Amino acid sequence: MSEPLLVLDNVAKNYGAIQALRGISFSIRRGEVVALLGDNGAGKSTLVKIIAGGLEPTSGRMLFEGKEFLARSPAEAKAAGIETVYQDLSLCTNVDVVANFFMGREITRKVLGVPVLDERAMEAVVAKALANAGTRIPSLRTKVEHLSGGQRQAIELNRFVHWGGKLVLLDEPFAALGVEQTRRGLDMIRQVASQGIGVVIITHIMQQAFQVADRIVVIRQGVVAGDVARNKTSPDAVINMITGETLAGAGPAS
Amino acid sequence: MSPRTRHSLEFVLDNLVWFMLVFVLAVFSIFIPNFFQLGIFANIIEASSVLGVMSIGLALVIIAGHMDLSVESVAALSAMAVGIMFCSSGIGLGLQLHPDWLMVPVSLAIALAVGGIIGIINGFLIVRLKMSAFIITLASYIWVRGLVLVVSGGRSAQDLAPAIRWFGIQRLAGLPLTAWIAVSCFVVFSLILAKTPFGRHLVMIGGNETATFRAGIRVNRNLIIAFVLAGAIAGLAGWLLAIRTSGATANLGVGLLFNAFAAVVIGGVSLKGGVGTLPGVYAGVLLLSAINTAINLMGLPANFTQVIHGLLVLAAVLLDAFKQTIRQKLA
Repeated sequence: MSEPLLVLDNVAKNYGAIQALRGISFSIRRGEVVALLGDNGAGKSTLVKIIAGGLEPTSGRMLFEGKEFLARSPAEAKAAGIETVYQDLSLCTNVDVVANFFMGREITRKVLGVPVLDERAMEAVVAKALANAGTRIPSLRTKVEHLSGGQRQAIELNRFVHWGGKLVLLDEPFAALGVEQTRRGLDMIRQVASQGIGVVIITHIMQQAFQVADRIVVIRQGVVAGDVARNKTSPDAVINMITGETLAGAGPAS
Repeated sequence: MSPRTRHSLEFVLDNLVWFMLVFVLAVFSIFIPNFFQLGIFANIIEASSVLGVMSIGLALVIIAGHMDLSVESVAALSAMAVGIMFCSSGIGLGLQLHPDWLMVPVSLAIALAVGGIIGIINGFLIVRLKMSAFIITLASYIWVRGLVLVVSGGRSAQDLAPAIRWFGIQRLAGLPLTAWIAVSCFVVFSLILAKTPFGRHLVMIGGNETATFRAGIRVNRNLIIAFVLAGAIAGLAGWLLAIRTSGATANLGVGLLFNAFAAVVIGGVSLKGGVGTLPGVYAGVLLLSAINTAINLMGLPANFTQVIHGLLVLAAVLLDAFKQTIRQKLA
């Protein structure tokens, strides 16, 4: 078994007296797709924000590629190779597709020592990335506010596929997608994982989790209530873990 | 709709305020005797330099999704600082530097520094302490104007050093150098906003601050820079104002803030942030200035200007809503 990509060791988060996470421990290997399941308010989104640098944990530690890891900002997480797709889309609708695709990583060239946006180079990259993924958007210069929800989500998904990194976190990425686009999105996830990138996907839809994940981790009331290989469990067993009726297969996988 | 008509329609919508400016100038030229001459057009540009420069800083922070009400007072404080140091009568200390031209960079540096410092204070309080830009800069608008009154004791400084005055007198192609400074500011900051990563980030922060933060853009740093720029640019406006009036009075520039807001809104900048360009703002500034000039030429009482400016702002906002509906049909 290869060294885990990310290890969470007893990560906890308090908001004042409220314990959102009471101590989460699990790990993700390279090329593995982990589905994170749990009821509303179980702490899934909090956990994703902690890994992605949006929140700092109250206690506990994380190891990324074997080294102690704590992202104080999304920029730090990104620099380490962690990409995140949030459930409320992270697009700036007031600028065009190209600008969104390259948000924060614009290609520049120097003019008299000043960095200037290289629009043509960026547009070429985006056109290629979208074409590879089979996404069709009439004009890359269209402002995102004029695009449909599905097109927006496609941009966001293509963005993470393109930038890749080492670990991808997806927080309910298919909320606004149709059946066909969801299928394509799930294919994208498998394709990304096959490149050796670790994927964590949060979803409410059991069917999606079983379609795409290698392992299923259930969070309930701020702790890991179950951590099982997909092929060793069933949707009914997972639902029981979510609602807390049984603790079958509970505890972190050894 | 063919791509070409769509493209040209987009172009017209994007530059609507320039078309309005051309239209207004054409109407004035036809109906107002003596309007159509180079001197008048030069005068329109010249009279708009201070307002124009101030509007740049204001537009930058508004596009980034915030607000700076303090620009007018900051300009007055900078002008007063320059006035007190380099004016020879009134409360002026009549500071002399040798050689004379040295007073130009020194006075300019003082004006920019005064503005920049207040910009840092504004930016720090708003960004780091997460306070509302409206309230913080409203406070600055009041206390900075108060500071002007305190340092001047309510009196004025006159007779600015000739070496500095030279910028207001020396002409190049019919325009005083102060006007050229304003025009070049617009060119430089338009390029920064449209072509550099910093400018792109400001626009995106104005559009969706959370998204830019998640994308790893250093939002706080960019916003503080924007407030410092707005302050320093207001300082530059104050420097120009001191040159134009050859000194500084305690109530210098009162009311400029609202004109700057009007110019910014007429220029197509949305107060919600994320929308607008600096060339548009310049067209807005010129439009206001053209209307002032026309009112002067027609011999109407100057009080009419305020009524017309107000109606113009209203028209701009309605036009903006109208533009949105057209765009939605285009998409």
